[in-house]
Amino acid sequence: MKKKKGLSVLAPYLYIAPIAMILLTFVAGSLILAIYFSFTKYNIITPAQFNGLFNYQRLFRDSKLHLCIINTLKIAAIIVPFEIVSSTLFAILISSRKDTVLGKIAKAALFVPVLSSSAVIGTVWNTILNGGHPAVKAIFGVFGIDPTLLLGSSKTAFIAVAFIIVWKGMGYYMVITLASLTSISDTFYEAAKVDGATKWDCLTKITLPLLKPTIIMNIFLSTISAMQVFDMVYTMTGGGPSMSTTTLSMYAYQLTFKGNKAGYAMAVSNVLMLIVLIIVLFQQRFIKHENSEI
Amino acid sequence: MKKKLLSLLLCTSMLATLAAGCGSKTKEADKPKEGEPTTLTMWLPPLDEDTEGNFKKLLAGWEKENNCTVEMEIIPWGSYEERWSTGVAGGETPDIGYMYVEMYPTYISSGLVTDLSDMVEEEDYKEYLFLDRGEMMGGLYGVPIVTGVPFVLYYNQDILDSIGEKAPETWEDFARICEKATKDTDGDGKIDQYGYAVGLNSGSMSNLYVLNSYMYSLLWQAGGDIYTDDLKEVAFNGKAGVEALEFFKSLQPYMPENAMSLSGQDAFSTVFAEGKAAFGVTRSSASNETTFAKDYPNLKNWDYVTSLKHKEYGTFGAADCLSVMSTSKQPELALDLIKYITGPEFMTEYHKVAPGAPLTASEEYVGDPKMERIVTEDRDKWRPLQAGPCGSEILENYAAHIQAVMEGKQDVKAALDESASYANDLLKEYYAENE
Repeated sequence: MKKKKGLSVLAPYLYIAPIAMILLTFVAGSLILAIYFSFTKYNIITPAQFNGLFNYQRLFRDSKLHLCIINTLKIAAIIVPFEIVSSTLFAILISSRKDTVLGKIAKAALFVPVLSSSAVIGTVWNTILNGGHPAVKAIFGVFGIDPTLLLGSSKTAFIAVAFIIVWKGMGYYMVITLASLTSISDTFYEAAKVDGATKWDCLTKITLPLLKPTIIMNIFLSTISAMQVFDMVYTMTGGGPSMSTTTLSMYAYQLTFKGNKAGYAMAVSNVLMLIVLIIVLFQQRFIKHENSEI
Repeated sequence: MKKKLLSLLLCTSMLATLAAGCGSKTKEADKPKEGEPTTLTMWLPPLDEDTEGNFKKLLAGWEKENNCTVEMEIIPWGSYEERWSTGVAGGETPDIGYMYVEMYPTYISSGLVTDLSDMVEEEDYKEYLFLDRGEMMGGLYGVPIVTGVPFVLYYNQDILDSIGEKAPETWEDFARICEKATKDTDGDGKIDQYGYAVGLNSGSMSNLYVLNSYMYSLLWQAGGDIYTDDLKEVAFNGKAGVEALEFFKSLQPYMPENAMSLSGQDAFSTVFAEGKAAFGVTRSSASNETTFAKDYPNLKNWDYVTSLKHKEYGTFGAADCLSVMSTSKQPELALDLIKYITGPEFMTEYHKVAPGAPLTASEEYVGDPKMERIVTEDRDKWRPLQAGPCGSEILENYAAHIQAVMEGKQDVKAALDESASYANDLLKEYYAENE
């Protein structure tokens, strides 16, 4: 009997031990290491040497870093609204036709880019834009755009990259919104119909208000992901032209593997982490507030 | 109860697996005693379609003779430097490593590469044709294995014939031909034939490709260089550097409109190789006559100029080397293996499957005859980079400023001075920490 009691006490800890160990090692561990190395002069190859606040002081006089922060914010400013608006609209459209063949095909088609590798997508889009194919030129021509020039200008490269990220990521947020839509009871719409509500009324007075917590969560998830953009930029522009698409993550990567300044790169990464952390804390408070209102 | 026990057992085994994964590697073997079988490890990128298979076949005799197994790790080009950095950080270094110039300064100053100066003989310099190109930062740190394939200026003979021109020799010739070749050939009012097929987008490739293809050659031809001779400052913003970039900028009207969007390789394959430009630049290969016929069937009548001449000749030709790492327990054996690989017995056979320039005096040239002059009469027209501190950072920044100039965001002098100021700050910091 005693033995059984001992096992019962131990069991919950053993159940969570594997995932706890993974989290501790790869999340908490790497976080602690990043903080530790940010106070050192470290090039990965030779042992780290403590250099106090040098890396953090450098953050303030590094004009490249400031440019990368602006680039990241500019890209995020395009990604987040377009990703959220388009995913919500597609989710509502698909939800209203969820049982039709077209609805099912649209749902699958919009989700396929989410499953594809960013490196492949970047390379494919690079070829589409630069290939000069008459059909592609004609489509972009409708908007007065020459696709072959998009990635070659500082003014348009980040916009082009941002929209391709929107195209890739939209399906993910759409699926989250779709799941949330299924939880809205039909009785709301039936009651509204009885009261003579139009489709627009149903959308603006029932669907969107009830989707609010999901939309807020999507906004924050999209913002966090946009702040960490790396692979798409890496394959499509390499951070150019003239650093106009170099993001914070990419700059940290370049510092580590091209500049052999892993210590400073960790300080840059910690800045990014701090920004993301503030967003997460803000999100939690906001969602709590919204939930209590609902 | 059974279910509970089973799940607990599963959790415990997962924990054990995780813990095992955290264990360190077995301790490195000490120097083996004479006569004992040994192992040498070698890291290299893919040099042909089956580098490991081709190398293994040709190394069998050497392995038997030396009672040594050569373990190779073929690392993709895309993650080559990352694999090195993370490997070294994890205490895992090979005996022999394939390295390119940009990698050397960090590894040399970290004491990870063996200086071979005292380990090679005078005769080696006579036999190994490019051994001097392994000399950098005051020592001999590598034996060239891939060299003799510089970036050269290809031209479309048909286009040159159609405008009554011959192969260019000087900058003036080149600019004149570019201007004459740039035109609307089908009369639709749009330019469809260009002088110079240039691509300045660095996506999927390093920014350095822009320098390798277009800038080093002009800089060197103008009499300039990246660093000053003592490597304490950069020199690319000097008179020669300004002249080189101004000349490059002056050629912009003869480049495709989307030169900023295209990568260098795409510009060559989709513009020059499609017969839409008089000139294109790419890395030469000893088998270009064969590979171009296969890859670019529309490019029938082509030839190349190894280097134009302005004040001097010059174009970029890498000299990637095999180096003995200082952590190797058997440096002499490692050097012996390197000499065997780069020597005539191995390379004569290897170059039959992967054509390249002969590396030794005893090796015969087995590539396309058309490309042979690169390693004979034009041998002094190309060279590798200076191996200087903070190389990748300085060069990436230099390339970004060239993009800014070509985009019209900055003028030549201001861009070069800004880039040089950034580079000199890095160098000042480097020398303050290392001297």
